[in-house]
Amino acid sequence: MTTQAFFIGFFGLAAVWFGVVVFRTHSMMRSALALLFSQTALGAMFLGMQAEFLGVLQIMMMATEMSIMAIFMVMFMMDPGGLGEMEMTHQKRLSLVAGFVAFTGAAAVAVLFDWGPVVSVAPDAAQQTADLGLELLGRSMLIFETAGITILTAMIAATAVAILPIEAKTTTNEY
Amino acid sequence: MTSLLIILLLLAGAYLVAVLEAWIANGRLRFATPVLAGIAMLGRESIVPRQPDRIFFETAPVLLLISAILGAMVLPLTPDLITTDLATGALFINAALVYVLVALLMAGWGPDGAYAMIGGWRFLGQLIAYAMLIVMPITAVAMRAESLLTTQIVVSQAGLWNIVYQPLGFGLFFVAAMALAFLPPFDLATANSELASGVEAEYSGVRLAVFRLARLTLVMTLAAATVVFYLGGWQGPWLPPWAWSGLKILAVTAAMLLAGRLMPRIREADLMAWGWMLGIPLALLNIFLVGVLVLVWP
Amino acid sequence: MSIELILALMTGAALFGVGIYGALSQTNLVMIMMGVELILAGAMVNLLAFWRYLHPDVAAGQMFVLIIMTVMALEMAVGFGVAIARFRAKGSVEMEEARELKG
Repeated sequence: MTTQAFFIGFFGLAAVWFGVVVFRTHSMMRSALALLFSQTALGAMFLGMQAEFLGVLQIMMMATEMSIMAIFMVMFMMDPGGLGEMEMTHQKRLSLVAGFVAFTGAAAVAVLFDWGPVVSVAPDAAQQTADLGLELLGRSMLIFETAGITILTAMIAATAVAILPIEAKTTTNEY
Repeated sequence: MTSLLIILLLLAGAYLVAVLEAWIANGRLRFATPVLAGIAMLGRESIVPRQPDRIFFETAPVLLLISAILGAMVLPLTPDLITTDLATGALFINAALVYVLVALLMAGWGPDGAYAMIGGWRFLGQLIAYAMLIVMPITAVAMRAESLLTTQIVVSQAGLWNIVYQPLGFGLFFVAAMALAFLPPFDLATANSELASGVEAEYSGVRLAVFRLARLTLVMTLAAATVVFYLGGWQGPWLPPWAWSGLKILAVTAAMLLAGRLMPRIREADLMAWGWMLGIPLALLNIFLVGVLVLVWP
Repeated sequence: MSIELILALMTGAALFGVGIYGALSQTNLVMIMMGVELILAGAMVNLLAFWRYLHPDVAAGQMFVLIIMTVMALEMAVGFGVAIARFRAKGSVEMEEARELKG
């Protein structure tokens, strides 16, 4: 049992526990922030796996993303404080079974498959960051640029879907 | 050992910021006031509002303090006085300071009060305005240093400080840092006159003391970040490195506090519009200009 | 075989399972999106574990994780766009009330 294994296990457990909390609490704010801390634990786990850049990036990006999630949760839910104990689930048994089957399947593959020899030494953090940059703007540039264009398109499309149509604007007072 | 020293320095810095803030606000220079006010706050009753979200209510001030301290951990005060010289230091400080937002959202939601909640959500809008203006100027700084190591960034400014090399980036970062520390005129989250202190409204006693301390530490961290990224860090003639760092940090803090005194509080919608329609194009222009400059004259 | 790789993969599997449960069982669009985020997070953990323990010298492994982060952001943007449109039209984003979308 190495230190690395301990950290991966610890933060992994934390991530899964917070992930479960997301669907067990009634307060929407707690639900969104539990997801945030689940992702943060994953970021810490990445740091444990010596992927420094990705770990820090994960911790940074998810904080903003999940905070924005939180405001949408509070906006769109009937009972954001969770004081009314509203029922928010359906097809519970099916979902439980599906989730359990998915977990068992993935876990069985993880345990039973022979992954071959494991490399124990990772490149140091500065080297990794440089390599990742060269990879992104070299061999994988097309993929990276496609991702960039896609996110721009999605932003524009989402805004276009979300804003009120002009004819509606002239007839109602809602903005 | 170094981290303990840094935390002590941050505490001393927070004390100085409190003195400066009072001096700039009232025109009275009193060195005992912050200490006395702090002790008085510790002695007061720490009220818990009705039906709070107890976890958030208790966590928020501590999380704010932790995030400010973590941000300071990657900033070098002298070549050796740095807790962890992370290979991704310039990114890590962003990651640490994003949790200011999380702490303020918690502080807004936790106490179950209308003013606090409005303050918390207002800060989310404020983040959307300033976040890119923190990250993009740092990108340009890292481009010049060709590294994300904060020590490397300071060393890269040996010939010419970044404030001269990329003044546009400095301006944007300075304003965005003020917005991040919710200093006036960007104190939308804790607006005294509109929201009765916003997110701080329901806090009292020990919790308020931690909150205030965290805020002062945050100002200190951001001033240190400005110094490291734009004002050449510890570099300077005659004086030893630590003295230069200290002097520059105090000067930047004073400039931030003073700038806020001269302007009325900005509106949320205006902040968002200026951040996205003026700030982000300028930040992109800054990246482009620095990119060209780095090629021509590093 | 290493204990670290197994631990990381088990975490990924558990997050995947929890995500599937959430995405199927919740009635609110935003909660369903949270489930999808967890599923993607599980995929991310697996990819990073494969990079770290099987091919640490290939930077493309890290790039896949970056792409997944992009996909998470995309999913949020599009999902919230749809949610706003739906909320404006019908006044709720409860999926039980959206049966007319079913073919």
